[in-house]
Amino acid sequence: MENLLQPKKVKIIKLQEMSANVKLFRLAPVGWKFPADRDGLIFTPGQFFLVGRWGVGEAPFGGASSPFEKGSIEIGVRKAGNVTAALHQLARGDEMTIRGPYGNGYPLDFFKGKDVVMVTGGCGIPPIATLIEYIIARRELFGRVYLLYGALTPDDLLFEERYKHWEKHIKVILTVDKPTPDWKGHIGLVSELTREIKIDPVNTATAMCGPGPMAAALENILRPLGIADRRIFVSEERKMSCGIGKCQHCTTGDKYVCTDGPVFYYDQVQSNWD
Amino acid sequence: MPRVISKNHIPNLLIHLKKSHDVFAPMEKEGEVVFGNVEDPTKVLLNYKTTLLPPKIYFLPPEEELFKVTNGRVQEEQLNNKFVVFGLSRKDLEAIVYLDQIMNKKPADTFYLNRRRAVTLIGVSEEEVGVPPGGDLILEKISDRYYRTLALTKKGKKIADLEFFEEKEINHKAKSHEATSKLDQILLDSELIARAIEWSRENYRQIWEHLGRVCLGCGICTYVCPLCYCTSTEDKTSFDQTVCSRCRKWDACTLPGFAKIAGGHNFRPTQAARYFNWFYHKFVRAYKEFGRAQCVACHRCQRYCPAGIDIEKVLEEIINAFQKAEPERKF
Repeated sequence: MENLLQPKKVKIIKLQEMSANVKLFRLAPVGWKFPADRDGLIFTPGQFFLVGRWGVGEAPFGGASSPFEKGSIEIGVRKAGNVTAALHQLARGDEMTIRGPYGNGYPLDFFKGKDVVMVTGGCGIPPIATLIEYIIARRELFGRVYLLYGALTPDDLLFEERYKHWEKHIKVILTVDKPTPDWKGHIGLVSELTREIKIDPVNTATAMCGPGPMAAALENILRPLGIADRRIFVSEERKMSCGIGKCQHCTTGDKYVCTDGPVFYYDQVQSNWD
Repeated sequence: MPRVISKNHIPNLLIHLKKSHDVFAPMEKEGEVVFGNVEDPTKVLLNYKTTLLPPKIYFLPPEEELFKVTNGRVQEEQLNNKFVVFGLSRKDLEAIVYLDQIMNKKPADTFYLNRRRAVTLIGVSEEEVGVPPGGDLILEKISDRYYRTLALTKKGKKIADLEFFEEKEINHKAKSHEATSKLDQILLDSELIARAIEWSRENYRQIWEHLGRVCLGCGICTYVCPLCYCTSTEDKTSFDQTVCSRCRKWDACTLPGFAKIAGGHNFRPTQAARYFNWFYHKFVRAYKEFGRAQCVACHRCQRYCPAGIDIEKVLEEIINAFQKAEPERKF
């Protein structure tokens, strides 16, 4: 039986500073390959990996690169705790470990044939970035596609090079709370951007990843737009530690974020108290 | 004819098992009954109430080294010896069977299952066993001198075939099951408990606020529980950085940092929220996941809680309040 807690060896092949405290790691397997599914995906957008280093520990990260890329994978690491601070010390060529993918990911089949609205803030973008790469690779399968992305300052908007590329295929709407003098985008909360979009509410799927307050604000906007809770998919953040539904660190209400999520229907988590 | 073992032969059986296995059994130590490595088989207790720590210490140890990395070479934890845990009570056997179900649920926990495969479980019951809860072999006391064998697996049968056992017709019967505790009776209806606890979160908050003030957040209730299995994983490195161990340790959802994430946000910031979660997991999440409360009424948490919290009384109070507030509709 495969030991699911046994990580595999990867090497940092590219390292990029995305903002003051976020680095993008590109990791390639050493002596093994990412297995791909029938559709050629090495993971489903929204799934997460437990990435770390021997002697440091592991932390959960959503895949950020295109799931069709087989040779390597990208993760965005925000310096927030012990593990991520240690990972920030690493350089190109250093070894790390990975296990996964874990969890369910966004329900791609449900998204097909629909308008798609993706909403995220700050460093919640990686799983959404992956979903966008998937959608762009299969663009003909989707209707109108929007990305609503907000951050504190323009510097906190990650993946600048990539959203310049995405703009050719989908509508990208950016907003910041504190603009710089040269900022040309929107100012204010991401939740206010929903006025910018034209969608068919009964044929729309919504993907969200970001802090709780944004989700709460959206409740007041997506619902009045007529988007049912079961069309809103939220990626939850908890302290996934074992990844296999045992250690109890990531529970919320009666759900395990690691095995039941991390992507939930909005109505599955909105009533959760923890 | 039943296969029996005389009480006098039990130490001989243990000496025999010790030749090929590590044998652990309940014994007295500083006024408490604890599981320990059997050195003197005459010191093994057959009739005791409960041990301090439950037998989960042998399958989900307080701390275990999952992986050891030496100069870049990764080695998975190896179990060298087959071992025997002797003298398990019916409740502890019941808890092990439930823990097996939890750890076997896919995705399964390899480390737990490896340890379970390496062990032979021998239960001892001073009363009639009734439906055997689990384990490999159970010795049921049928007279002052004899224990009847109930071999439940091949491993158990192999032991029951040893020369210490004999075929013998005994006219005595096992002592009938003593009256069960109030908690045992409450646990007969897992669904009612689950509904009551779920209801209490918003409708009987005062009890959680009260318990949040009483609970010291020490985690003892979870450590002594035969069915609590929260863990955390931690890496340790040697001074010269050549050897790293990835260790898994018991954790407790009642401890302050259990639901804290990087960056400092704590999803359960109060002791009341954490104490509620302990109950919620045992009686609601567990019921939804496995159809049954994660409690076998061993009463360890009550006995060892330094704040004197008695879960039997807590459950009773919540269920009474729930039934009063929401009387069953009869059709």
